[in-house]
Amino acid sequence: MADDAIFDKKKSHRAKHAGRKAEKKKKKNQVDQSNLSARQRNPKAFAIQSVVRAERQFRRKEDVIAKKQHIPQVDKTPLEPPPIIVAVVGPPRVGKTTLINNLIKSFIKTNVTSTKGPITIVTSKKRRITLIECNNDVNSMIDIAKCADLVLLLCDASFGFEMEIFEFLNICQVHGMPKIMGVLTHLDMIKNAKKLKMTKKTLKHRFWTEVYSGAKLFYLSGIIHGEYLRNEIKNLARFISVMKFRALSWRTTHAYMLADRMEDITNQENIRKDPKVSRDVVLYGYVRGVPLMKESTVHIAGVGDMKINELSYLPDPCPLPSSEKKRHLMERERQIYAPFSGVGGIVYDKDAVYIELKGSHSHKAEDEETNEKKALLKNVVETKETVDEQMQESGFKLFSGGAVIYPSMLKDDEYLQQDRNDEGSSDDSEAGSDSDSDNDSGIDQSEKEVSAKLPWENKSDSEGDDNDMDTEERNDGKEQEGNDSNDEDEESENEEDFGSKWKEKLGEKATMAYFERQKTSKNIMKLVYGEFEVGNKTKAQNQEVSEDESEEEIGGLFKKVTSSQKTKQKHKDQLDIDECSFFYALDKPTIRDWTTEPNKQALINSFVTGKRSADEDAEELLKLDDASDGEDDMYGDFEDLETGEKHEAKETEDDTVEPGSKRKGEPTKSEILDKKLKLKAKFDAEYDNPDDHRIKGDHSYYENLKAEALKQSELNKSVFENLDEGLRVEVEGFRPGLYVRMLFKNMPSEFVTNFDESYPILIGALNMAEQNIGFVSCKVKKHRWYKKILKTNDPLIISLGWRRFQTLPIYSKIEDDLKCRYLKYTPEHVTCNMHFYGPITPQNTGFLALQTVTNSTNEIKQLGFRIAATGSVNEINKSTQIMKKLKLVGTPLKIYKKTAFIKDMFTSTLEVAKFEGARIKTVSGIRGQIKKALNKPEGAFRATFEDKIQMSDIIFCRTWFKVDVTKFYAPVVNLLLPIGNKNAWQGMKTKGQLKREKNIKSEANTDSMYTEIVRQPKVFKPLVIPKNLQKGLPYRFKPKLKQNKISTKNTKENFGERIAVIKSPYEQKVSNVMKMIRTNYEKKKSDQRVATKERISKFKKQKEEEEWRKIKRQKELKKKICRNLSKTSSKKKPQM
Amino acid sequence: MPAVVQNDVLIYKGSNFFRQRLLLSTLSGRSVRIEEIRSSHDDPGLREYEVNLIRLLDKITNGTRVELSETGTSLYFQPGILIGGQVTHTCCPQRGIGYYLEVLLALGPFCKEPLNAVLQGVTHHDLDVSVDKVKTAALPVLLKFILVDDGLELKVVRRGAPPLGGGEIVFKCPVRRHLRPLQWTKWGLVKRIRGVVYALRVSPTMANRVVEAAKGVMLNFLPDVYINTDQCRGSNAGKSPGFGISLVAETNDKTFYCAEAKSVEAGTRSSTLPEDLGKECAMRLLDEIHRGGAVDSSLQWLLALWMALGQKDVSEAVVGPLSEYTIKFLQHLKEFFGVMFKLEVLREQDEDSDEEQVVAQKVKMTCVGIGYVNISKRTL
Repeated sequence: MADDAIFDKKKSHRAKHAGRKAEKKKKKNQVDQSNLSARQRNPKAFAIQSVVRAERQFRRKEDVIAKKQHIPQVDKTPLEPPPIIVAVVGPPRVGKTTLINNLIKSFIKTNVTSTKGPITIVTSKKRRITLIECNNDVNSMIDIAKCADLVLLLCDASFGFEMEIFEFLNICQVHGMPKIMGVLTHLDMIKNAKKLKMTKKTLKHRFWTEVYSGAKLFYLSGIIHGEYLRNEIKNLARFISVMKFRALSWRTTHAYMLADRMEDITNQENIRKDPKVSRDVVLYGYVRGVPLMKESTVHIAGVGDMKINELSYLPDPCPLPSSEKKRHLMERERQIYAPFSGVGGIVYDKDAVYIELKGSHSHKAEDEETNEKKALLKNVVETKETVDEQMQESGFKLFSGGAVIYPSMLKDDEYLQQDRNDEGSSDDSEAGSDSDSDNDSGIDQSEKEVSAKLPWENKSDSEGDDNDMDTEERNDGKEQEGNDSNDEDEESENEEDFGSKWKEKLGEKATMAYFERQKTSKNIMKLVYGEFEVGNKTKAQNQEVSEDESEEEIGGLFKKVTSSQKTKQKHKDQLDIDECSFFYALDKPTIRDWTTEPNKQALINSFVTGKRSADEDAEELLKLDDASDGEDDMYGDFEDLETGEKHEAKETEDDTVEPGSKRKGEPTKSEILDKKLKLKAKFDAEYDNPDDHRIKGDHSYYENLKAEALKQSELNKSVFENLDEGLRVEVEGFRPGLYVRMLFKNMPSEFVTNFDESYPILIGALNMAEQNIGFVSCKVKKHRWYKKILKTNDPLIISLGWRRFQTLPIYSKIEDDLKCRYLKYTPEHVTCNMHFYGPITPQNTGFLALQTVTNSTNEIKQLGFRIAATGSVNEINKSTQIMKKLKLVGTPLKIYKKTAFIKDMFTSTLEVAKFEGARIKTVSGIRGQIKKALNKPEGAFRATFEDKIQMSDIIFCRTWFKVDVTKFYAPVVNLLLPIGNKNAWQGMKTKGQLKREKNIKSEANTDSMYTEIVRQPKVFKPLVIPKNLQKGLPYRFKPKLKQNKISTKNTKENFGERIAVIKSPYEQKVSNVMKMIRTNYEKKKSDQRVATKERISKFKKQKEEEEWRKIKRQKELKKKICRNLSKTSSKKKPQM
Repeated sequence: MPAVVQNDVLIYKGSNFFRQRLLLSTLSGRSVRIEEIRSSHDDPGLREYEVNLIRLLDKITNGTRVELSETGTSLYFQPGILIGGQVTHTCCPQRGIGYYLEVLLALGPFCKEPLNAVLQGVTHHDLDVSVDKVKTAALPVLLKFILVDDGLELKVVRRGAPPLGGGEIVFKCPVRRHLRPLQWTKWGLVKRIRGVVYALRVSPTMANRVVEAAKGVMLNFLPDVYINTDQCRGSNAGKSPGFGISLVAETNDKTFYCAEAKSVEAGTRSSTLPEDLGKECAMRLLDEIHRGGAVDSSLQWLLALWMALGQKDVSEAVVGPLSEYTIKFLQHLKEFFGVMFKLEVLREQDEDSDEEQVVAQKVKMTCVGIGYVNISKRTL
């Protein structure tokens, strides 16, 4: 064994110490190997082995990357997003309500008795959800699909998928697919385990084909004590709370709101007088999608387009917990808010609102009447909000009927002051020229402002107002500042008067700092928007108030009146001035002489030749570089010398004027350091590839796009962050996540009287021009599951954008020349074009069409699948061009060679004149042209053809006829229908429907009716074979004894028909004689024939002999000649 | 004076800002009624050039309804859908082509088909921006919003001086589905000055004298000054004599300031010295440079419009002091679109200086676009 071991022992490796390899290794070891990548350590192993494979690999990698890329979109989710809408959808009796109850219980550990309307709950530290149940009405399904973020699609597993589920999925696909999670219930009804497994599998795969493969399908295995299993619900809840959502294009361009509270604030007296009076309705909810603009028109699904009369934000009734650092939600932070279900502090009733205040769940929404008291109460109770915010939110009223005024509407004169200073300067240079011209922009405005100020300002600062007026004539800045501070004092005094003395000290300090920041922007905004009001108020109301005020104050305040007159005069002056977009509009001031030295110095730095700001100036930067390198002054001096004297002189000059210029002072050392670090980071990012140095695809374009989108979304979030809330709302709109209150005036009374919480109230904002109505052209395809085809001009209910409406569509097909050819019916399996009169909606918006929205079981059964068609908008216009084919038919009146007169095609000469030169055609295909009208008959014309036509020809002319789209647009107002009947909206009926109902049967056109076809057996002519032909035929083809055949067939008849002929004696005699003569003649003939035969044979013999002789003679002659010839030839031969 | 809204119709008084109102009405799709148009004047009612503007709007739209009262003092305007396409329009010589061109510029990106407009009339007018200014200063601004220049073009075929005009331009504008948001807070330093001096039916020496004077002033500030002369003759010179200059200052951040001056109309008694004209224009340009900002002061309103019509994202720009026209335009924007700008006066420099004499006030305009989409465009 030992020998073996010795034998096996390999020679140990001896490392080289000298030579090429050793040197190589040494070189390698010089670099620290520890933190190198495998590629760097051993580059050869990673070298390209096969070019083809490398190319393929690269290509595949790029493909994979490109597949992952999406067009970067600007992320528009706000910092505090609105609750996520989780809709529970499914056919009736699948356990929707149970699921909602269980979910609520699992989230906030309370039982809810009723689940009507949306229920908002706080589920985690950063997420709230709004649960809403969708009832079994196609209208509700559509509205829910338009607003839901997550859909729990419930399905009775023991039954399988029902039509509603497929309908809902289809609706979702059209309006933007929300996240969809399937939930199978009633699994305990399937007893057989194997069957259960099979059912689950088939249902899952069916679900996957509809949504996407891999879509989550939940199984709720059964109910115990009327509840689902706790574990399963918990899992579902977990899924809900981590779900991510992607932006849908419609919702990222439109604001919307799902109302979760409704109040009728109409005067009770008016209702008592007339129960049908239009109501004032307030709707509450979270703004979703994009910021909602105050003056936008909205569409309330199921009611119609409405103008928001008043829009204001309220404190969140179901706020997210404060951002303290803890892992779980506190018990009291698990809030629920569901006014329709009577949870969360407010019990909603048809007539009244009961507020129950119990500990943490107390509700803070206020009514306008109790606003004041509550504001005070809130101040004391709440300490969450900062004083600033409170001040912004708190308002006060001067008059009992008047509007609440918020401090965000405060105005001060800072901007004007600054403006005036500017003008002062320009006045100087103008050297006393007419100052009016330039000052227009400033002082006129300021005067306007004074009068346009809100009434409360006039009243409370009457002295301040006087001051304002005075200072306008003066140009003294300091005085104004004093005045300004005075103003502010007064403002704070106002607040004192209002009654919140206790917060004066705090408030003043906080607000002073705040206003300092805000001043600048406020003031110029006031200059521009002084005539508008800012803040948590709407326009209409304020205007009303101001009008009232001015009327009231006519007696009291003289100043007010005069100033208003002044502005009126100003307005009048401005009324008809010529429009001009130049800075100095009409009056040209003398412009400063910029060539004078001081002016020049002010301007010179706006040129590249001037001195640059510290962070841009190359020279400065160089200097700084040197400074940081530690070799400072020497080089600084040197550079100065280099640039020369002139430069230096300028610089000194610059220093003197510098304050006026826009250059910054020299940066500090730390700034420099920062800058350098930044530069280094940038350089590193650009040149140091963190990965290896392999060839990489260039994705910089995509990366840039992504970075741009990211930058934009950050800007969107940050730019208005420290703006005060009132102004922010005005500039940005009501951003998503705000809880708002909307007042609608002139709401139909049925909305209130027939209010049903189980129907979602979706309020969608309309963008510019979307409230208008026009002709919409779209592409549409009949749904393949819909049993019938659709007919032009049959009323169709379309769900497009936020709206559901009925309209009369016209189908058409786009021809190759982009002409829309009218179609009477939709084609099957292909898209066609559709025109209808309806709301203007942006292109590419999807829509779906239904023929009916009524929910009667009969109809559903008859229809099966209710969605008739789907499509998307192509184009919007104010007119349509749909052409229908038209054939004009005429007949010839008179025909000359190639010219013919045609009648009956037209009815008048005028018509003919219009069609002169048109191409016409006969049925047989002879083409021609219309030439000129004839005098009579009216409507006849002369036409030429390429060939002679016949009188029996029909001539037709192919033309197009424009079809107009009927202007019919009726919104589906299902929310106004009586309770219990809401799903029975019936709009315009089709003609067929009406006829069926009234049992009218139209008379059928007899021409197009089918009649029994009677066919006579065909009788052919007997075949006649010409005699000559017969002769030539072989025997078997010869007609044989046809007569005989016939005679054999009916011999008897033939004989029966024969008549016996008895001749008279004379006739007998004659016939005898004739017989004898004939016999004689025949005898004679036969004799002659024999004689002729004899003669001929004799003649022939004679001829033959003659011939013989002739031949003999010739033979002899030939012989003789031949002999002679041979003789002569033999004679000649020897000679040759 | 704010509008009164009645049944979603905005009611205004007076003929001032007529163009703004019709323009915004066309874009927003909201009807306007304008009352008391020069009702107290000797010559009441709409002027010829305003009627001409309505005609132009009618040409590029479909379904526009205009109702004029008998006296012409009241007008109801219900806008249609922007069509664009090939348009030939003879502008009223009372106003320059610029008056109409600015409207087309604002509407151009939102038409159904790319706009290809031929405008005839007065190319240079005292009240309106000249075609040169639009070409050099306004088109780059629009380009910032549409990003890709596929056929944005303005060609001056012929120049025409008032009062008779006779000029012709061709304006082409591509269509866009929406404008992109814009952040434009830096405008850089003026790096070059270019200009055109045109002389129509006058001696060519006039042009050279203008160039000399203008250059004389500008060379005080920058060596890179180059001014072209455009001496038109024959039919290209329009119908009336006149000469003028337009100067453009380009910064290194692609901001263009433009100033222009022209001779007084032929027929009036007074005359203009070419040297004065050149100097005046140079001064105006310096004034414009002094005001600063990302755009020329007479184009502020266009910038504001395009910012407001952007997607629902934040746009911001810094401009010089707001002109009266822009202020009115912002007010109109608020009324028509409900969009409000956040305006801030920038005065970082104030810290250093007590005398604010030389600092032109800069205004930072910030707004959230209304998410305007071109609803006229066709998708296939």
